[in-house]
Amino acid sequence: MVSDTQKLIISPSPHLKAKDTVGSAMRDVFIALLPVVAVAIYFYHVYAAFLIGVCLVTAVLTELLFRKLSGKKPTLHDWSALLTGLFVALLFTATTPWWKAAIATFIAVGIAKELMGGLGWNRFNPALFGRVAMILLAPIFAFVDDWFAPLATYMGSVDVATQATPLAMLNAGMEMPPLGQLFAAFPGGALSEVSPLALLIGAAYLFYRKHITWHIPAAMIVTVAVLTLIAGENPLYHLFTGGMMIGAFFMATDWVTSPFTDRGKLLFGACIGILVVIFRVGLSPTEGVAFSILIMNAFVPLIDKAMKRPSFSEPRKQTQAS
Amino acid sequence: MEVKTFQGGAHIPHFKSYTEDKPITRLSPPKEVIVPLLQHMGAPCEPLVKEGDKVEIGQKIGDSEETFSAPVHASISGTVKEVGKRTVPTGGEDDCIVIEADDGPQEFEMKQIRDPQNIDLEEYRKCVREGGLTGMGGAALPTHVQVKYNEQVDTLLLNGAECEPFLTCDHRIMVEKAEELVRGAELMMNSIGAKRTLFGIEVNKPDAIEAVNELIKDRDDMEVVSLAVKYPQGFKSHLIKAATGRDVPRGARSAELGCIVRNVGTTVASYEACVYGKPLIERVVTVSGPKVTKPGNYIVRIGSPISHILKECGVEELENHKVVIGGPMTGLAQPHLEVPVVKSSTGVIVLPPDMTREWMEYTDCVRCDKCVEHCPMMLYPNQISIYAEAGLHEKAEEWDLMDCIECGICSYVCPAARPVVHWVQRAKPEIQKLQRSRK
Repeated sequence: MVSDTQKLIISPSPHLKAKDTVGSAMRDVFIALLPVVAVAIYFYHVYAAFLIGVCLVTAVLTELLFRKLSGKKPTLHDWSALLTGLFVALLFTATTPWWKAAIATFIAVGIAKELMGGLGWNRFNPALFGRVAMILLAPIFAFVDDWFAPLATYMGSVDVATQATPLAMLNAGMEMPPLGQLFAAFPGGALSEVSPLALLIGAAYLFYRKHITWHIPAAMIVTVAVLTLIAGENPLYHLFTGGMMIGAFFMATDWVTSPFTDRGKLLFGACIGILVVIFRVGLSPTEGVAFSILIMNAFVPLIDKAMKRPSFSEPRKQTQAS
Repeated sequence: MEVKTFQGGAHIPHFKSYTEDKPITRLSPPKEVIVPLLQHMGAPCEPLVKEGDKVEIGQKIGDSEETFSAPVHASISGTVKEVGKRTVPTGGEDDCIVIEADDGPQEFEMKQIRDPQNIDLEEYRKCVREGGLTGMGGAALPTHVQVKYNEQVDTLLLNGAECEPFLTCDHRIMVEKAEELVRGAELMMNSIGAKRTLFGIEVNKPDAIEAVNELIKDRDDMEVVSLAVKYPQGFKSHLIKAATGRDVPRGARSAELGCIVRNVGTTVASYEACVYGKPLIERVVTVSGPKVTKPGNYIVRIGSPISHILKECGVEELENHKVVIGGPMTGLAQPHLEVPVVKSSTGVIVLPPDMTREWMEYTDCVRCDKCVEHCPMMLYPNQISIYAEAGLHEKAEEWDLMDCIECGICSYVCPAARPVVHWVQRAKPEIQKLQRSRK
């Protein structure tokens, strides 16, 4: 019998909801990074695993701390802190002192995200912000290095970690390793730079799950390819080295810090591409992609406004006859 | 086959398999009906009966002198038990006439009183008004208001899209009552002076398309427009855009665009009102949901409390469920079961806790742009939701909040589960105030 005492739920329409959540999407990005994590651990063994572990733990603790301080509920279940931690780790080289990565993670999660109002309100990509902060604040951290030096852990030797990064080799005009090897897996540089192939596999998963669209990566890659070609260099070397791949598919496509519309995304990607080439061809080679994305992050509100599409109800100048 | 559609929108699981093959059947009349005096857009009716009066099925029990109104009729024979406030499906309480059934016959006698070939415009308009016809697809506009000759109108567009999940009442009407539908369309087309009739039907109802096509294949003034299966295809603006290619600028009435849009159920009911003198006292309602034992498309008396309907359909466990009148995207969740179905109630949908959006709490917007991608109005629900939530109405207006048709796609796709439609509904009257103060 239907009784009057049964409690019915009342709330506004719509009553149905797609199963996707912020947490499931962030988890998917985490999953998409696993191939490159695997390659990094293959090359750098325990160094990579340790660095990633430090960053994940720091990210979680930082979020808990800042949420506690601001009196908000912890949101670990949205995977955002863990993802930022993983991103930060992947932006460093394997032999980076662990406290540097920890401080970068603290800045990324604590300052670039939580202090900005939490996930959704951050204007800058938190992981890149944390990474770049460490570069800009390097002089300050020089003495921090001294404090922490006794805590350095020796985890066996890793020969590959000491060799020049492919991007540095490119800039120094050294003989480059074969492109195929560079594309598949080649150690040197940050953890995320070891294998464009692994990153592309992850990116394919993100496309499949519809978390990212082609607009930003395509605009970025095409712009870099065309401009480096004009500059007389082999575009493929530029695409397969440094932060280009993780930047194009994982960083610039960050939901929170990229424009709304397809047109906006194309413009955003193209501008990042132009900046990357300026940094790489004209200026110092390190972290050009990171700087480029962060600079364009600042322009996102402007792009969103400028690229606003007309409403369906906006009267058109010429009305079509059927 | 050419399939037409519009930009944006989303494919939402349609859950129609519960009832799409269930033939329309009659539900036994309830012991008591609650007939609201306002079931349409416009002025409410004044009661024509008082407590203790005997009423016959089909008798007019409420009417208004206003043009923008439609009378209401007794859907069962019996005694008026009360004229007073009851909960209505649009939310809150409103004046209703409560009728208790007596033992007499409870079926409306269908006998032909007019020859469909021979009805003039004036007579048609009168029948539609006196029959209390209103839009049965949701908007509930009094039908007679639109039934007038208008030189500009060249197209009668019949809405058989039925894009809301679960609902199949229009689908079954098109399949089972195709003949009345086509005849009703002809009456309406002639009465408004339109040159052609388009039947807009989503392609997930091939049997409906076939049934209508079979009847109109020799006519060159009627045509089926196959529509892509996409929500919200059945919204008037998007139906016009898809079927005729015409833009629908804000503020424009569809007559100015040369189209009159009609729901297929309304078309059949207006035919019956003309030919049989049958007022709008019952309608086809889809009763559905994963846990409804006997889901189906039922002819239900206007004013039947949903408790009666759910009991007949074998629904027992309702703790923490949602009972929605209308479709699950735009319908209203009801606070209790003594709420009546009215002329515009397309469905009674019972949603178990794991299907409703309450399974997660909403969070801040993460700018994923899924709402922007799917918004059929080409708006920015993400921006709108942030401004409307914060009460920044001027900013929300800048981002075209007033153009929102409240279809609910944004909230449906939102990974942060933001109740965008709720905030939009809250902000609209505030923005209207702002707009008036500027004049």
